[in-house]
Amino acid sequence: MYAGTIQSMLDVLSAGTASFISVQELLNGLTVGMVYVLLASGLSVIFGVMHVINFAHGELYAFGAYFAAAIVTPLGGGTGFYVALVVAPLLVGVMGVAIERFTVRPLYGRDPLYHILLTFGLVLVLNDLIKLIWGTSPRRIARPEYLTGPIEMVGMTFSRYSFFIIGFGGALALGVWALLKYTRYGLIIRAGAQDRRMVRNLGISIDRYYSLVFGMGAALAAVAGLIFTAGRGQVVPGIGFDIIISAFVIVVLGGLGSFRGAVVGGLGVGLLQESIIRPGVPDLQLPLVPENVLAPVNMVLGLLPQLEGMVIFVLMIGVLIFRPRGLFGTEFEEDSGELLTGSSGGFLTDSGRFKLGIAMIGLLALVPLGSGMLPSPLSVRLIMTMLTWGLFALALDFIMGYTGLVSLGHALFWGIGAYVSGTVLFNFTESAFVAAGVALLVGGLVAWIVGYFSIRVHGVYFAMITLAFAELFHTSLTKIDGWAVGFCETTPVCSAEAARDIQLTGGSEGLFGFSSYWGLGGVGVELEEIGIFLGPVTLTGDLLLYYIILGVVVASFFITRRMLQSPFGAVLKGIRENEQRVRFLGYDPTVYKRRAFVVSGIFATLAGVIFALNESFVSPEAAEWLKSGEVVVMVILGGMGTLFGPILGAFTFFGLEALLQEETLFGPFIWAGSLVGLGGPIEGVSATVAERWRLFLGSTFVLFVVFLPRGLVSVPELVQQRVPTRFDPTNVPADPEGGDD
Amino acid sequence: MSPTVAPDGGREVVLSVDGVDAGYGETQVLRDLSLSVEEGEIVSLVGRNGAGKTTTLRTINGILTPTAGTVSYRGEDISGLDQTATAKRGISLVPEERQIFPELSVMENLRLAEFGGATDDAAHSVSVDEALGMFENLAERTDNPGSSLSGGEQQMLAIARALVAGADLILLDEPTEGLAPYIVQDVMDIVEDINERGISVLLVEQNVHVGLELADRNYVIDQGRIVWEGTSEELESNRAILDRHLGVSV
Repeated sequence: MYAGTIQSMLDVLSAGTASFISVQELLNGLTVGMVYVLLASGLSVIFGVMHVINFAHGELYAFGAYFAAAIVTPLGGGTGFYVALVVAPLLVGVMGVAIERFTVRPLYGRDPLYHILLTFGLVLVLNDLIKLIWGTSPRRIARPEYLTGPIEMVGMTFSRYSFFIIGFGGALALGVWALLKYTRYGLIIRAGAQDRRMVRNLGISIDRYYSLVFGMGAALAAVAGLIFTAGRGQVVPGIGFDIIISAFVIVVLGGLGSFRGAVVGGLGVGLLQESIIRPGVPDLQLPLVPENVLAPVNMVLGLLPQLEGMVIFVLMIGVLIFRPRGLFGTEFEEDSGELLTGSSGGFLTDSGRFKLGIAMIGLLALVPLGSGMLPSPLSVRLIMTMLTWGLFALALDFIMGYTGLVSLGHALFWGIGAYVSGTVLFNFTESAFVAAGVALLVGGLVAWIVGYFSIRVHGVYFAMITLAFAELFHTSLTKIDGWAVGFCETTPVCSAEAARDIQLTGGSEGLFGFSSYWGLGGVGVELEEIGIFLGPVTLTGDLLLYYIILGVVVASFFITRRMLQSPFGAVLKGIRENEQRVRFLGYDPTVYKRRAFVVSGIFATLAGVIFALNESFVSPEAAEWLKSGEVVVMVILGGMGTLFGPILGAFTFFGLEALLQEETLFGPFIWAGSLVGLGGPIEGVSATVAERWRLFLGSTFVLFVVFLPRGLVSVPELVQQRVPTRFDPTNVPADPEGGDD
Repeated sequence: MSPTVAPDGGREVVLSVDGVDAGYGETQVLRDLSLSVEEGEIVSLVGRNGAGKTTTLRTINGILTPTAGTVSYRGEDISGLDQTATAKRGISLVPEERQIFPELSVMENLRLAEFGGATDDAAHSVSVDEALGMFENLAERTDNPGSSLSGGEQQMLAIARALVAGADLILLDEPTEGLAPYIVQDVMDIVEDINERGISVLLVEQNVHVGLELADRNYVIDQGRIVWEGTSEELESNRAILDRHLGVSV
């Protein structure tokens, strides 16, 4: 009876969709869609109630899978799987509650952007924690016998497990819906997502429900991670990284804060990706519609499989531009909590700081001269990396620290700088000047276009739209060569041989081994050819590049500083303080913000160009979202809104990495341990720390966001005030909601 | 915690604000402000835009914390308490924007108030059914989302919600703002109705006529200070005050 019903339903489905999408593909779409639903619904509700954008949600998904693997392995695929289905989400739920209590809670009342920063730090911590506990090799997750193998219906074979995911996930989503709809907790949570202040006015301590919401969202993510990876049979590191961006796309499409939106968005994106774009759709043939009208439509449909992974970002950008609240969301009112910019007070006076800066530049200029005496020959390379990222962070600070717009997509410009200069050097000319010029032009143009669309939206929406643009570029990097080949083959512009040799981006491998000279039109020098002899030291190759980079960074600093001291800079600072007032004074903030974005984009592109010249290779990693996050970390670490703070942040970031990696920190301990016969174990610990340095970096960063939100540059002032490692309480708004007056 | 009795030996003082300074960040709005509400009274606070009326209500309700002076409720110092704590004691703010939950139904808006609300004093607890009995318009639309209500209906729902939350003292911020004249009369009737149930009301109004008609006593506020206090008859006949502090003629 029951089977018969399904049978007849499938008959209808296969008859109705056979010409467009196969039932098999529909099932794949729903399966992936259901995993998305479970992942995105928690993320969305957490955002709605607490206004927290939780980047660590993907890591909680990964933890669900790893806990499950740890439970299933000793207990076996039968009972083990079912035990894991209950226990793993509970464990992750407890983790979620702990995260809310100890890290998210101290930040309520500050700008929601601090939550982005905090949860980004947590991503680094949790991701390395997984590797620390479970290693980096794949872990098996077995399924019960009953849920494996195919199932035959209407003459087709389906995966039995797909039905399990759809059924179980669907039931769980329905349960959550009922909980939200029919219980007291659900009513309070839904009301909280709409208007927290009024809930408090009614005598309900909404804050008490935050831990619960966070814990439940975490548990749902864990279920999603578990059932999806069990379907694959194994869990590998990095699954959280890969899926979190999709989850954001879904949450934005459905509407930030809306459970219904997450469900519709999750299923929609699953179906779109797995059932339509990946397999491609056959040409449409509609009666009544003439062939020449359908032809262009079919051409676009035919291109879809080539755009896999990109369509969702285009959709996300479209939604953010035309309907920021998404399908079902309510217009989210920004908490106007204060962005804490670096302070310039303290025992360092302006002239004192200037002298210190000059001294630092002088010191940096001397480094290559003494390169023979440095503890490691890598030191010069390390400082080159620090300087390059320092420039990148400076560029981001120009838009973030001076207009309050936090871009989560600055890797776009770094990637453009690296790829455009790389492809010019690789394919066209080896002139570094031409490569840099073309890259800066492209970077500036892209910044203007992205800025044109993004500046219309504020705060969290701005962060999301810049993220979408960067991901769009990142995904296109592996496809550009394919498009170029296709274009070449279908047009008479180039020959078939030429088509075979096309390597604009080099696909997922990237471009390797391009060289450059400093000059134009074939006239110029390679750095290796020059040698400047200074006593025992010969400056050539890398050491000369070092001076070029140092010069570029110092010049960029002074140029941006000069810009901010001009009337243009005064308007920008005005926008940061009070946009309304600037508007009343007759300036259009949108225009100024867009200009600032272009300036920021060009300097970030320059940093990418330097990276490519320095490394002589580029790969798609250059544009991945992790880069955007890391540079935001550096800006905050140093102190935003100061220009020099972010450079300091970059030095600290890589300095910390080097410190932990080079085992320098542990050297004395290993020595001391060896005296008492403990050298071995301590060496082991040190090796682990060196390998998992992100764990410590992330923890440091979390502590920074909570306790020192104004960054390193505020340390002198804090020392002055004798308020150790605490931010100034007078700068926190008295009103827990940030005030709407 | 012993109930405070008014100096004239009359009714118990429900709310007493004594010498309060308050404001937003470094901007001080209220300066040495004092007022009181007695049991079962309707007291109106009138003044120009920006005089500090809404700030006064927010300071009483606990959204803002006074930097000097005290707010006491039935003899208890509640100066440092937050919104949740004052609501639990029976102080209910009906904000100017009404703040109806747009995606919750009328019924859900009321049920939410039932979950929260006063725990100390059950004297004025009004059940959801009773509240719906008082507001016929709402009773017909219990399943409609809050966003589908008209301005007048939203105001009714905001008041009904305060009743269900067990309000003993209602802080009513501009209840007639933006409403059509015939609905203004309805709202005034409702305020009198709830007052007859023994609920005290502190009313903030731009529309001096509404205040004059409803209130037992009036406070005139200007630049964060109380500049005049008296009955509605006294205020109506005091042209100087009306001109100087309110800029209206009656």
